[in-house]
Amino acid sequence: MSDMRDSDLTSYRDVQLSPDFSELRRRFRRFVFPMTALFLVWYFVYVLLADYAHGFMSQKVGGNITVALLFGLGQFVSTFAITMIYVRWADRRIDPDAEKLRHQIEGEPQ
Amino acid sequence: MSPAISLTAIGLVVVATIGIGLFGLRISRTTSDFYVASRAVSPRWNASAISGEYLSAASFLGVAGLVLVNGADMLWFSVGYTVGYLMLLVLVAAPLRRSGAYTLPDFAETRFESPVVRRICAGLVVGIGTLYLLPQLHGAGLAVQTVTGAPPQVGAMIVAVIVVINVAAGGMRSITFVQAFQYWLKLTALATPIFVILLAWHQPVGVLDSLHGAAAEWAEPLSRAGGRDHPLYATYSLLLALCFGTMGLPHVLVRFYTNPDGRAARRTTVVVLALLGLFYLFPPMYAVLGRTFAPDLVGAGGDTVVLELPGRVFPGTTGDLLGALVAAGAFAAFLSTSSGLTVAIAGVIDQDLLRSRLHRWTGGDYVAVNSFRIAALIAMIVPYLAFTVTGALSLADTVGLAFALAASTFCPLLVLGIWWRRMSTTGAAAGLVVGGIAASAAALVNVAGAPEGGWPRALVGQPAAWTMPLAFLTVIVVSKLTPHRIPAGTARSMVRLHTPEAVDVDRGLPSR
Repeated sequence: MSDMRDSDLTSYRDVQLSPDFSELRRRFRRFVFPMTALFLVWYFVYVLLADYAHGFMSQKVGGNITVALLFGLGQFVSTFAITMIYVRWADRRIDPDAEKLRHQIEGEPQ
Repeated sequence: MSPAISLTAIGLVVVATIGIGLFGLRISRTTSDFYVASRAVSPRWNASAISGEYLSAASFLGVAGLVLVNGADMLWFSVGYTVGYLMLLVLVAAPLRRSGAYTLPDFAETRFESPVVRRICAGLVVGIGTLYLLPQLHGAGLAVQTVTGAPPQVGAMIVAVIVVINVAAGGMRSITFVQAFQYWLKLTALATPIFVILLAWHQPVGVLDSLHGAAAEWAEPLSRAGGRDHPLYATYSLLLALCFGTMGLPHVLVRFYTNPDGRAARRTTVVVLALLGLFYLFPPMYAVLGRTFAPDLVGAGGDTVVLELPGRVFPGTTGDLLGALVAAGAFAAFLSTSSGLTVAIAGVIDQDLLRSRLHRWTGGDYVAVNSFRIAALIAMIVPYLAFTVTGALSLADTVGLAFALAASTFCPLLVLGIWWRRMSTTGAAAGLVVGGIAASAAALVNVAGAPEGGWPRALVGQPAAWTMPLAFLTVIVVSKLTPHRIPAGTARSMVRLHTPEAVDVDRGLPSR
């Protein structure tokens, strides 16, 4: 039993060290972390604008619709847009490579 | 308001909830059914169920109340509630599914190979869950009180009893059906009165016009209309708590296991965001109309504005009927969120605290499912006792504290645990303890009676902006100091977390 564990561990380490695995992880991080930072900045900037740019935010676009109101609705719209972008990206860029990695790992003799 | 019609409507919701729960009982047989509905729920059903479970008393009553009292700042609650799902999706959902763990403590134990970290997590799940159940019970008490004049204990007791019966009877599978039904009920209940009011009005613009003038300050963001100090800090702190707290809510996370695969989990999240966005259009409208029709509620905290508005606009039968519909929707909110939380807390109490003891006391003469049922009872008794001794905080504020606690404990554990190879077991434990103590101390001070004003009040009222960085820092510093305590199986965990699920690596799944 302990022998099996050891050989398992080695193969896990192999996968972890393999360039394909690191590439998959790196690609994921390179997309997801900047995107997360970007949308957080967008939410936080809105709050800043609301506090310090009263004149701009309370400009009327038409009737009683102000810039602040449009931006506020924009928060929901952009959340949805970001989600769609992420889902499409994951379907196109992550799933096929993950599949490739799977064939590699499973194709290896045990 | 006519109590008879509203009570009938609430009664119908209760009957429907139990009925659907019993229907689900017939198809939930195994332990896996109980916890994660056999991972076989379609994205559309699952999205309705997730939204149904997520929209609690805080969303149904609390957001409208906060916007009514404090003005447009409080719209951040609804934005933050939605963005939290996005963070959960992109940062932790897929790796966590792959870990094969059913619950947060399961994840902690497999990743950090430590029963101590597991036990701390179990305690935190119970803590966060209790803090989140508390406003549901308060909301139920408030709703029954508004409708009939009965003391708050009555409404809270009704919700507590029904949830325990339903959870104990059916586990996750039946809860999934109940939740999906309740999302659509809640949306209908909240939207119909608004449409009727707008139709009855020949000029809906008149309502918006009435805002300008006396209430103009209220409609501007960060205006301090509600007398809150340091609105910029408070808003940022709240946004942080909601963005990063959602991933640590026990009842939310378990939902992602009910998808058949990662692709379905992504599809589910898109539908969830659409459903939540649709729902959150309505609470601010109640607040805007409330400013015109029920300005007296501002002084009372505003949490009853959704319940009282239809009656204020249409005195007579129309108002009674719409009021009954809203009361029924509110009950759906209390029942669905409480059920989801109770399943999650009961699962943890069962696995980590109860099962082994029960086994010892009864000499092995017990069934696993019975242990889950007893755990469900305990999971509800604790918040009910807390409810009887605490005063009424604003509903959405209490929920905000639960988010802050989750953001200060499980968020660092998950984000760093999934992405940082050099995180040590000691670092994980230290981060959980430091973040947990800081955030729950703030919560306790709030529940016991917040400081008068100024910075102390702002820091204690919205703690996430300092407790969350503190927890992250603790994990990083302690991990750097204790490199010898990095779990031996880290390489194995990382491969497991980051390779696609179709790959047949050992995920430590319980046999199915």
